[in-house]
Amino acid sequence: MYIHHHTCISPQQTFEHADVETLHESADNKLKAKEPVYKGIPPGILRRMGKAVRMGIGAALPVIKQQSLIDGIIIGTANGGMEDCIKFLNQIIDYEEGMLTPGNFVQSTPNAIAAQMGLLNKNKGYNITHVHRGLAFENALLDAMMMIKENPGNNYLLGAVDEISAYNYNIDLLDGCFKKEIIVNKNLYDTVSAGTIAGEGAAMFVVNDNAENAVATIKAIQTIHTKDEMEVSRVLQQFIQQTLPDNEKVDMLLTGENGDARLLKYYTEVESLFDEYTTIARFKHMCGEYPTASSVALWLVCNRHQWPAHMIKKQCKNSTVRNIIIYNNYRGLQHAFMHIVKYKC
Amino acid sequence: MSRVFVTGMGIISAIGDTVAKNREALINKQCGIAGLTLFHTKYTGLRPCGEIKVETHELKNKLRAHEKGITRSSLLALHAFKEAIADATLSANQLSSRHTALIGASTVGGMCLTDELYNDANKSENGSEYLSSYDCASVDLYLQSRYSMSGVINTINTACSSSSNAIMYGARLLKNGLAKRVIAGGTDSLAKFTINGFNALHILSPEKCTPFDRDRKGLNLGEAAAFLVLEKEEDIAGKKIYAELTGYGNSNDAFHPSSLSDKGDGPFLCMQKALQKAQLPASAISFINAHGTATENNDAVESQAMIRLFGTPPPFASTKANTGHTLGAAGAVEAVFGVLNLYYQEIYPGLHFSNAIEATGLKPETIYRQGSLQHVMSNSFGFGGNCTSLIFSKI
Repeated sequence: MYIHHHTCISPQQTFEHADVETLHESADNKLKAKEPVYKGIPPGILRRMGKAVRMGIGAALPVIKQQSLIDGIIIGTANGGMEDCIKFLNQIIDYEEGMLTPGNFVQSTPNAIAAQMGLLNKNKGYNITHVHRGLAFENALLDAMMMIKENPGNNYLLGAVDEISAYNYNIDLLDGCFKKEIIVNKNLYDTVSAGTIAGEGAAMFVVNDNAENAVATIKAIQTIHTKDEMEVSRVLQQFIQQTLPDNEKVDMLLTGENGDARLLKYYTEVESLFDEYTTIARFKHMCGEYPTASSVALWLVCNRHQWPAHMIKKQCKNSTVRNIIIYNNYRGLQHAFMHIVKYKC
Repeated sequence: MSRVFVTGMGIISAIGDTVAKNREALINKQCGIAGLTLFHTKYTGLRPCGEIKVETHELKNKLRAHEKGITRSSLLALHAFKEAIADATLSANQLSSRHTALIGASTVGGMCLTDELYNDANKSENGSEYLSSYDCASVDLYLQSRYSMSGVINTINTACSSSSNAIMYGARLLKNGLAKRVIAGGTDSLAKFTINGFNALHILSPEKCTPFDRDRKGLNLGEAAAFLVLEKEEDIAGKKIYAELTGYGNSNDAFHPSSLSDKGDGPFLCMQKALQKAQLPASAISFINAHGTATENNDAVESQAMIRLFGTPPPFASTKANTGHTLGAAGAVEAVFGVLNLYYQEIYPGLHFSNAIEATGLKPETIYRQGSLQHVMSNSFGFGGNCTSLIFSKI
């Protein structure tokens, strides 16, 4: 599956005039998205959109403009419009199920993002929303790979969105997902405590089976559910054996290391599979942790930039980065591997 | 590409907690919609629902599901899942195999626990046991962990077409060689969130719903879970086969966030795509289990779309007057019913119908009868214009 267009709204300067060298800082253990001025969304509609819907549509609009014909929309989002969802819930409790306005209810369903994209672009094709928490984007990606195989020549909009809402931050904080002490993202990997920092964003891709002018190709993806780091390591070895040609090596391992001391064992185990040939890089200090954060990793691979020093954990000597493995892990249970081949700039 | 067969089914709904009991209820025109007795809301007595009359703690005892943080949605799912895997005689080894996928669907997930969620979302201490149980994925993560499943695991939420899309995704995994067997379906339990949401949209009926009736007053919510075991032709020698899944189509209506277009492009296109996938002419469809929610909008549009596609539509009915609208479970619930139509060669009557919608004159089936059914279509349309149609065929 080939990637042709890619956009990203994230806590970093990724949307317009992308500059990933400069690292924008987190505040209160949150990395909030730098939302652009949304051009092309009617103001009346924009005003009613929750942040997740807004970021998703905003990131998708230029992609759709560049590619006049999209045959379907495939979105991964763990929570969709969580802020709207709990606003509606709060109304139910606070007004004791009194007269409620349905706006928040309709906006809060996770499929509202893909639905709005379909609506704004009059797209009557395949339209689906995967919500499998830390593998919502990966399942969307697998779906897109199957669609392309089943429908040669078609183009699909593939993307992921999740937002920080005050509410899901609170729930996840109570659940021990975030650090109790305040840190800044540039020191994310230096901390040894449990928990990470929260993030959000939207990344969109146009994918098809056409190699010409593609920025990258997704060779393979695999997901597993396990708490056993040795099982993760075993499956990754098999994955690489199956997907990587015999005479090639992995140039870069891009991991979802997130500063949570409890999850370090998975990353240590995975990194130990690679020798000095492979550069090891990380991305969660840029976007924070959220269920579909791996979509930002994919955008970073597609983006035509030099790898900024702040991403590099271990630099190897080879200058071209072609074969990339992304390893992401959500809460020590949901793991995903992607093999991406990046084409020369 | 391999053919995909249904080799096992499980269901729990307001009309029964097994496939057999659901079939008996359908034959006997049993309506599971009544006043709420277990679920507490201000709308008790005002909005009848398809409530499963088993308390959550009874489900926990029956299923021996005493882990922390298990919600009613997960318990209903487990109930249906257990029946489906037993029916398909799947072993523990098969369930935990890398070749076995679980594709679930839900729209409410753990948000059935409104009060716990309210506290956990708004208070700074004393988190409940449900902190990681509110999302839709929590259901399938629970099943994954309980059965040590290691294949593709996914959760889909496209509102009321969620579990039809789960079945479609599961079939595609099989056809693409990404799984050898798939357990696909969905679950939803009653929730203040949905009762208040649909009520605010003024589409909840104060009476038992009347699908396709001229004087219909809206839908009744229900709760249910259903799963189907899908397997490939080459892997099922000697097994009981209920039906073949021959067609599926997904399309977006691209008209409005919470209502369908008058022309019904989404419904029309998903039915048309399903026929194309099954390589069948419209005339081959023997029966349609319609989405038929009994809202003003849905039944008018679905009728128009059926007329557009079929000219004279085949016999059809909606089982939502039996179970209520079970949202994320509805597609799988009605897939089970469609498979039963084929397996037993019988049509279940639609309930509470009196007069046809004037503009269409279409009348749903209202009498139980046996017949020769070759291909049954099952429609599911959701908010956000998410429309999906499935076709099951007789073996």
